[in-house]
Amino acid sequence: MPKLQQIVGFRVGRENFGVPIGIVHEIVPLMDITAVPDSPDYIEGVINLRGKIIPIVDLRKRFGETVVPTRRNRIVVSELNGHLVGLVVDAANEVLKIDPEQIEPPPSVMEQGELNYVSGVAKMGNQLVIMIDLSKIMQRGELRRLSDFAEATGALGAAQSLQSE
Amino acid sequence: MGIFSDDRANELRALFFESAAEILQAINEDALRLEKSPRDPDLVRDLRRNVHTLKGDSAACGYKELSEAAHAVEDVMTPEVAERSGEALAGLVLTAADLFDSLLTSFRDGLQPPSTQELRRLIAALQSPQGETKFAPAFHWSERERMLIATIANGQPVYNIALAVDPACPMPSAAAQLVRNTLHEAGTIAAMHPEADVTPPPTLIEVALASDKDVKWLERRAKIPTVVAQVYIERMNLEAVAEPLVSRDVAHSVENGVAKDVAPVAETAQTSAPVLPSATKAAAAQPEVYLPFAPQEIGAAVAERAAVERPRTKEDRVVATENVLRVETERVDKVLDLVGEMIIAKSMMQELMHDMLATLGKGHGALRARGGDILTLQSQIMNKLQRAVMKIRMVPVEQMFRRLPRVARDTAKATGREVNVIIEGGNTDLDKSILDALAEPMLHLLRNAVDHGIESPEQRKMSGKPVEGTIRLNAYHQGNQVVIEIGDDGSGIDLGRVVNKAVSRGIITADQARRMSENDALDLIFTAGLSTSDQVTEISGRGIGMDVVKSVMDRLKGTISVRSVPGQGTTFHLKVPLTLAIIKALLFRVSERLYAVPLGNVLEILRAQEGDLHSVEGQEVLKIREEVVPLIRLSRMHGVSQPQAKLFVVVVSLGDRKCGLVVDRLVGEQELVIKALDETMIASEMVSGASILGDGRVVLVLSISDVVEKLGRGRLHVSGVEASL
Repeated sequence: MPKLQQIVGFRVGRENFGVPIGIVHEIVPLMDITAVPDSPDYIEGVINLRGKIIPIVDLRKRFGETVVPTRRNRIVVSELNGHLVGLVVDAANEVLKIDPEQIEPPPSVMEQGELNYVSGVAKMGNQLVIMIDLSKIMQRGELRRLSDFAEATGALGAAQSLQSE
Repeated sequence: MGIFSDDRANELRALFFESAAEILQAINEDALRLEKSPRDPDLVRDLRRNVHTLKGDSAACGYKELSEAAHAVEDVMTPEVAERSGEALAGLVLTAADLFDSLLTSFRDGLQPPSTQELRRLIAALQSPQGETKFAPAFHWSERERMLIATIANGQPVYNIALAVDPACPMPSAAAQLVRNTLHEAGTIAAMHPEADVTPPPTLIEVALASDKDVKWLERRAKIPTVVAQVYIERMNLEAVAEPLVSRDVAHSVENGVAKDVAPVAETAQTSAPVLPSATKAAAAQPEVYLPFAPQEIGAAVAERAAVERPRTKEDRVVATENVLRVETERVDKVLDLVGEMIIAKSMMQELMHDMLATLGKGHGALRARGGDILTLQSQIMNKLQRAVMKIRMVPVEQMFRRLPRVARDTAKATGREVNVIIEGGNTDLDKSILDALAEPMLHLLRNAVDHGIESPEQRKMSGKPVEGTIRLNAYHQGNQVVIEIGDDGSGIDLGRVVNKAVSRGIITADQARRMSENDALDLIFTAGLSTSDQVTEISGRGIGMDVVKSVMDRLKGTISVRSVPGQGTTFHLKVPLTLAIIKALLFRVSERLYAVPLGNVLEILRAQEGDLHSVEGQEVLKIREEVVPLIRLSRMHGVSQPQAKLFVVVVSLGDRKCGLVVDRLVGEQELVIKALDETMIASEMVSGASILGDGRVVLVLSISDVVEKLGRGRLHVSGVEASL
């Protein structure tokens, strides 16, 4: 029995993403975000998390999704290099247990450019969970969705099975 | 260290380094004082005791190099050596202090300790001063010189003065000129060997001086620190005139001086005396000063020296060295954090009470009163608690000031200046983290003042100033802020040159330069890449620095301004908040978003209508009484700028300029517990921090200078040069 890796899965648009449970502090309902003028464009603003002020990145905007506010919207509070950062997602699903063997490293074409936030792709039944590297999210420049990329190239096995979903 | 466990040994070492740093500071201070009064036996004893303590402590910790070096220094610290060559001793102690410091650093970081060879050589030289015995000047005046001497003497006593040039003199080639200048004050130079400007620079200077000062006075005068190592004075026997020996009685000498108030010297006195009547008065109060001689210089110098030495009483020293309790700042910060959280909780409580009473409706007078009383009591306690905790973080400014005289001395030595540092307001308290952050800018300003501000002794003399320049450090409270001043009595900032440099570097256009006000032009020195010194020296003048000073001040939510009078000096005023943790702030809304600025920067708040605003060459301005204040629409932070019928203008101070921030609505005044924004992630220059209100909302605190800088697209000029807006 291989040791299962625990992953916090969440949804942005139509895609499923995941980050290791170790870096997630908590998941809280969406709350008022205070915009900070003169901050990097990927920073949505800051929130008051029980007396702590933490920066927020709206992953929906980051991935170019249209923002549809629902009651299921969440902020995934994660840790990056000792700093807390909140990620706004459409919905946070559950904790997934994945066999590390099932997580494939990203194809080398993704290591550069707008898809370099992908640290791996995990197969969960017929679903794909895109593992993300937080540090790459917190960078200037645009990010592309994996499905766009897949549609454009159609060359990746992982992306193909995503399309078939 | 075998007898102690490792933990215990480490603890001991940590303690040792702490106390050693304090001892070194004390040694430095005493040595500087010894330099001024080289024969003070009390100082020597003090120094010896401190060096002895250092020796013992370092031996106990096993730092052999340090304890041995200290031992050698201790040996030479005797009143006899001080009597013989006190200035050299002071120099030696300063060198030793530096060496001790680098030894300590190397022990702490586990590095190879530096060699103590040079120090030992200096000590040996002091212990057996060969120069003393060899120093037997001959005074061979030529026939012509003898005649000159006889003519110039004109009844005054004439002295043969021989001066041994200090081998460590930073500018030996200028030594002769310096000696000439100095002695010229004391009388008339009849002859001098060498005349001036010889190569190689002389090691011995001989002068025949006609003067009616006494030997002691002349000796004191001639012994120019760092230039002249030894002085020999004898009275010349002019045609074997039988005159009584020179009296060392001060009163008698004065009498003599006045009686012989003749010839060229009297002229100096007559022309200079009426210029500075107050200085003359100061001089008159000093019994040792001879009125007929350039009284304003001596008088001022003596008065200043007296001013420095006075405040350092014994009690000061006791307070400075007594440390009741050492606590890591981290622990205090933790408590302060908690107090901050409690203040947030307090305002939450207040809001809850407000809502509850509103829900209750009318009546319930007793309940309302009780609620009000409890809230008042709670806030009083909170305020006291907050103040008490903040007080723990407060340290006297002296902690930073006391390190500066040594730096001033070293810089002065390296640049051939003479500088006296006067410290005032050292007991003004300031938040430790702010004080620490100020240390570097202050060092920079100080070096600048010595290097660029204070003129060379020759220049000072030509402009009729005391040879010794004065640097004044001062600190005082002003409302919720602390003002720290550093001023020099040097040449002042050459505005024309600053502006020209700025134009030639492309920082401003010639057109802008013409319209600039004096203050704006002065502020140019804070711009990156502008240094007006003609030469780049080791000490300063690389064109970096002033902008660094400015950026530190911005980070501290402080301001810096400069005043300069050509020929009279330059003074920098650094204003910082008492603490960074909790500030009184003015809250307002801009495009429905909540912001705050420190209340300390707010000068006034005005209501205005769109019609009241004027545009001068693209810059919006508002006329307030007789003043035209440039405006900044904060809504531009969000990229929008919609005209509103009614608006508010928050007039803020920026150094010594004013600026009006246009906001939509005022919310009120509130005490905010400032939390830093996560710099690695957010890095907004316009926002310096954030705070949480009672209802949980986040309010952003704006950094006024950065907002003005960014939204005003650079410098704001009333005259309007922002055509690009």
